[in-house]
Amino acid sequence: MEDAAEERQIQVRFVTKLPSELHVATTPFSLPAHLTRYGLSEVINALLGLDKPQPFDFLVDDELLRTSLEQLLLTNKLSAESILNVEYAYAVGPPKREKSREHKDWVSAATGSHARYIATGSYDTSIRIWGADGSVVQSLEGHGDAISSLEASRPTGDEMWVLISGSKDHTVRRWELSLTSSQEAVNTAVTLERPVKVLKGHTSAVQCVASNGSGTAVCSGSWDCSIKLWNISEDENGESLTVRSKKRKLDASAEAQELEVGTSITLEGHTQCVSAVSWGQRDSIVSASWDQSIRSWDVETNINTETLIGPKALHCLSVGGDNMALFAAGGADPILRIWDPRMPGTNTPIFQLSSHKAWITACKWHRHSRRHILSASHDGSVKLWDLRSKIPLQTIDAHKGKSDCTIK
Amino acid sequence: MGTSDKKRRQTPDGSKRAVNVGAATGTNGTASLLDTARTVDLSTCSDSDDGDWQNTSSDSDDEYSSASFDDDESSGDEGEGTTEINEAILDYMGALEKEREDEERGDSLTGGGEESRSPRAVVESDSSEDEVPSRNTIGNVPLEWYKDENHIGYDLSGTKISRREKKDQLDSFLARSDNSKDWRKVYDEYNDEEVELTKEEIDMIKRIRDGRVPHAEVNPYEPYVDWFNWEDKGHPLSSAPEPKRRFIPSKWEAKKVVKLVRAIRNGWIKLDKPKEKPKYYLMWGDDLKTAEKTANGLAYIPAPRPKLPGHEESYNPPVEYIPTQEEVNSYALMYEEDRPKFIPKGFSSLRQVPAYSDFIKERFERCLDLYLCPRSRKKRINIDPESLVPKLPKPKDLQPFPTTCYLEFLGHAGPVCSIAVDPSGMWLASGSSDKTVRLWEVQTARCCRVWSMTGPVRHIAWNPRAGLGILAIALQQEILLLDAELGSNTEEVSQLLNINVSSATEHTGDGLLVNWLRHEKLQALQIKHSQEVVSVTWHHKGDYFTSVAPDDILGAVLVHQLSKQQTQNPFRKLQGRVVSVLFHPVRPFLFVATKMHVRVYNLAKQQLSKKLMTGLHEITSMAVHPKGDNMIIGSREGKLCWFDMDLSTKPYKTLKNHHEDIQAVAFHVTYPLFASCADDSTAHVFHGMVYNDLLQNPLIVPLKILHGHQKIDGQGILDCHFHSKQPWLFTAGADSIIKLFCN
Repeated sequence: MEDAAEERQIQVRFVTKLPSELHVATTPFSLPAHLTRYGLSEVINALLGLDKPQPFDFLVDDELLRTSLEQLLLTNKLSAESILNVEYAYAVGPPKREKSREHKDWVSAATGSHARYIATGSYDTSIRIWGADGSVVQSLEGHGDAISSLEASRPTGDEMWVLISGSKDHTVRRWELSLTSSQEAVNTAVTLERPVKVLKGHTSAVQCVASNGSGTAVCSGSWDCSIKLWNISEDENGESLTVRSKKRKLDASAEAQELEVGTSITLEGHTQCVSAVSWGQRDSIVSASWDQSIRSWDVETNINTETLIGPKALHCLSVGGDNMALFAAGGADPILRIWDPRMPGTNTPIFQLSSHKAWITACKWHRHSRRHILSASHDGSVKLWDLRSKIPLQTIDAHKGKSDCTIK
Repeated sequence: MGTSDKKRRQTPDGSKRAVNVGAATGTNGTASLLDTARTVDLSTCSDSDDGDWQNTSSDSDDEYSSASFDDDESSGDEGEGTTEINEAILDYMGALEKEREDEERGDSLTGGGEESRSPRAVVESDSSEDEVPSRNTIGNVPLEWYKDENHIGYDLSGTKISRREKKDQLDSFLARSDNSKDWRKVYDEYNDEEVELTKEEIDMIKRIRDGRVPHAEVNPYEPYVDWFNWEDKGHPLSSAPEPKRRFIPSKWEAKKVVKLVRAIRNGWIKLDKPKEKPKYYLMWGDDLKTAEKTANGLAYIPAPRPKLPGHEESYNPPVEYIPTQEEVNSYALMYEEDRPKFIPKGFSSLRQVPAYSDFIKERFERCLDLYLCPRSRKKRINIDPESLVPKLPKPKDLQPFPTTCYLEFLGHAGPVCSIAVDPSGMWLASGSSDKTVRLWEVQTARCCRVWSMTGPVRHIAWNPRAGLGILAIALQQEILLLDAELGSNTEEVSQLLNINVSSATEHTGDGLLVNWLRHEKLQALQIKHSQEVVSVTWHHKGDYFTSVAPDDILGAVLVHQLSKQQTQNPFRKLQGRVVSVLFHPVRPFLFVATKMHVRVYNLAKQQLSKKLMTGLHEITSMAVHPKGDNMIIGSREGKLCWFDMDLSTKPYKTLKNHHEDIQAVAFHVTYPLFASCADDSTAHVFHGMVYNDLLQNPLIVPLKILHGHQKIDGQGILDCHFHSKQPWLFTAGADSIIKLFCN
């Protein structure tokens, strides 16, 4: 490292928030200015003397280092004389492709809230539950048209897993899955609890669904420009349900019963298709629409509390980030925008992440990290973004066609 | 001078005659004393002039004797007055005589010549007669007193002047005949000498005898010079006080004014006579006289000052001015106007500089310039071309509008002839000549349904009622009404699309028009026509729709009613081949586009309300603004006409934007956008703002040209439609691709 004596040297002090065994000496090091992330990572590895090399990422002033140190000084107009504080952290490694699960038709929705199972919705009207080994554990039939969105509750205990699906047949269905204990078999049996609740009320195709964590409250956005809130609680079910047998289901499971649930609340305000809803914090719903607006609704009073107007029609929305307060939304252009609704009186996004080449169809915040966000686009790529850098951390170009949904 | 002359010539003989003349000239009266001296001379001269020269010459023989004596006698008779004069003359003559003597003396005695100068000078001066002393000093006494003496008087010094010997008559005659000038000689008795008269003196005598002014240089009629100048004297000529009339207005003038005023009022006097234009005028003349209106009155522009020659123009410039060979070669590659006119070259001496090679050429061009020079000054107005361009807002300020293609709808195997966007904006239907109709999801560009048809699809249209999802398809000789199974109210749709038996039987009567049938395979309603159906359009309420079958002479345009399953033929006969039919979006009007005109029919009154003169050769498509007062028409020659139907039946704007046939035009429902697509495989997007204010004309701004489609078999983009809610444009190409252009 120190061989390039004639080169420009920069005084660097390494700091970290990693555990103490990964700390290096806080004395400043004199490093050649042309070093990039990889070079610095090698330095840290050499300093720590790790057996297995570990990639690190470096932050200067809370910005990820993506250029050489020299260029960073030039762009940030920092003095080369003073000591540069560089924070290092574990780098996010490239994702490894584990398995691909082949569908017959386009996959329109996917959710992976469960640790061992993945649920996907497809244009062939069925919802499939995939096990860890890549086999279909359960296939949920019942929708009359393509699935447009899928939402899974966080599993409570090990028994119940609630899936909510929206479909272009104007209905929302709530599936309750009971997962039997997994000790005896590799694949635990996933059984569908009857009756399946069918939430009818939309007059056009349902575009998006969302639920609170437990799955007892469901909201859905539709092409009829409305958001409907469905309240599903056990005691209420008995009163409001009307039992109806479906002709179509005769072949599959003759005894399957479906319960039709009426609307509880309709939120009107959007002028075009509601393309994404998200259950935010503190009983509020955030919705994005083709009419370019993002609206926040209060569940208790059913009032539109806040409206943000974006520049383009919006296709996807995710609430997350710092304190679960940032809105990330993508739409009919290749830019992922992130708004902070806490900044009053402005419609300008705080971040504009542009690397995609086509419409952004889906975006999702990391559940625990406040900086990482995934986006999928019609150009077939999925990108992982870190808000501390303008350049995506990782790009997954696995899909040939259009990527349509993301899970995190 | 004159005075001295007179005195010189006074002779005793002359004096006598002068008396005679003086009597004769006494009639003049004004003859002064001096003038009488002249008259003396006159008498003698006039004698000789009068022609009795012989007499005088004969007389002249005894001039000194007889004649003089006669004169003496007569003069003695005359009286005292004249003698006085004669004496005066003689006195002067005497002085003259003395001069001569002095001269003679001066000749003989050189020494005394000096002395005699002064008196002679005195004599020659014509200041006063007193200063000219006569030779004889006897004064004014009768000469008879000296008649008998030997002397005639005394000179200045008091010595006697002796009488000269008299020439006898013969001698004098001989002398006279010898000397031709002798007749001019006059004998001066007072001074006893002969005086020869000069020519001027004789002239003077002649003048006196003619009664004229003796001196030729005297002009008796000289112009009067008013020497008195009273203007600057400061006092009036008259000191009389100003009369009163000077201070009161003139009565007579007032009367005259009244008269003139009356004449003007009654029109007897015409004040403003119309100026007569000159009958002939200079045809090529400078009408505005701009040539004369230059600042200093000169109609010429000074030539620009040429640059002064520098070092490079020298015959042997420094090396750094001479271009290298590469530079010379690079000049050859430049445009001729950029090329330098003069390339410096070095010569060792001025002798080696060749003749100017372009001399003949430049001279010839100069001659051409002069020959072709315009005779009149060109009147050029300096207008900034930018100012002529109308002030249009920038396209950047008119966003949103479709700019980039984000989605392609792939699946068709043949040219996509027609597309239609579902009123909700979720679905797109497309009909192609590969005999299929496809249903696409707009957001994902996924083909959701494919219906196979029996023939190539010509036109496709959604029922505008939301939630119904009925698709009208025009193919070959029929219209299919298809349920796309999108709507929520499926019962209503199936009821509409089931054949209504009663109406079917009704229509068997005039089965000439159409047949309503049930298409079992597609679960659709089929309306069979007798000729090929080109297009189908819906009324905005979704119940009525029209079909156009241009080959059908009687029923080219048919209006169908879906709910009652009835068909009407609103026009018995239409002029021209119908191209397209549209319903007015708000009012009961029907637009029928034929090859060159668009007719607007009022459906409520069943009459023609308007005829739009497009001025186009062949209309291919039209679209109506959602408010209904404006429409655009595309034509085969690539022209797009905007009609403001409130304004005129002529196009408000005609845009020649496409190179080839316009295939379709479209308005956006909500955004102020319209588009046209053509066979040159481009789609043009315009901003077309219609204001509610009737006084404000629509604003049309070209925004964007969209490329992307490929041209196949001479066909580019066959159809274009705006998304019903977003500012997006769908274009259907002959390359079997549908593209979605987004903002």
